Amino acid sequence: MQIYRVVSDLVTTKRNFWLAAKPLRVVEDAVGNLEVALDPIGTKSGDFVITIGISAARIAAGNPKITTDLTIGGIIDHWDEERWRN
Amino acid sequence: MKICQVEGTLVATARISGLQNRRLLVVKERGSSGKQVAVDPVGCKPGDWVIAVGSSAARDAAGSKDYPSDLTIVGIIDYWDEAARASA
Repeated sequence: MQIYRVVSDLVTTKRNFWLAAKPLRVVEDAVGNLEVALDPIGTKSGDFVITIGISAARIAAGNPKITTDLTIGGIIDHWDEERWRN
Repeated sequence: MKICQVEGTLVATARISGLQNRRLLVVKERGSSGKQVAVDPVGCKPGDWVIAVGSSAARDAAGSKDYPSDLTIVGIIDYWDEAARASA
């Protein structure tokens, strides 16, 4: 699992059927690379989150049929920028 | 399997139900600076060198096929001298 920070919400109205109506978030890693993750818990911009990748991402989404390779698994209670960058 | 060093525990109260109340640890893979988060069914302490499995084996290693983990610790290495290995 990776540590990411939520950047913003992402809206895609026309989407693959198996992406269902799940909310999406733009997240960034410690060096600034952007990724899109599925959000089953409800995060807000600026939250530090843990994300689950590969096949476990589909289980984490609540239904193994959902087509995702990155799902947010939890919001980190205490985390700071300095610890994240180094 | 990857060789990682445990950095500390990670507290995440708001989490998906599938993750249950499992212990999560921040680990650093040997030879890389990036941090990762691993599920810990073994019971490690900060500073321990551990082996961790990825991909679908991580799900099995965490206890069940339905557990949403992509990195799970499977063992603590008894002896690992990083300084000696780095210079070798």
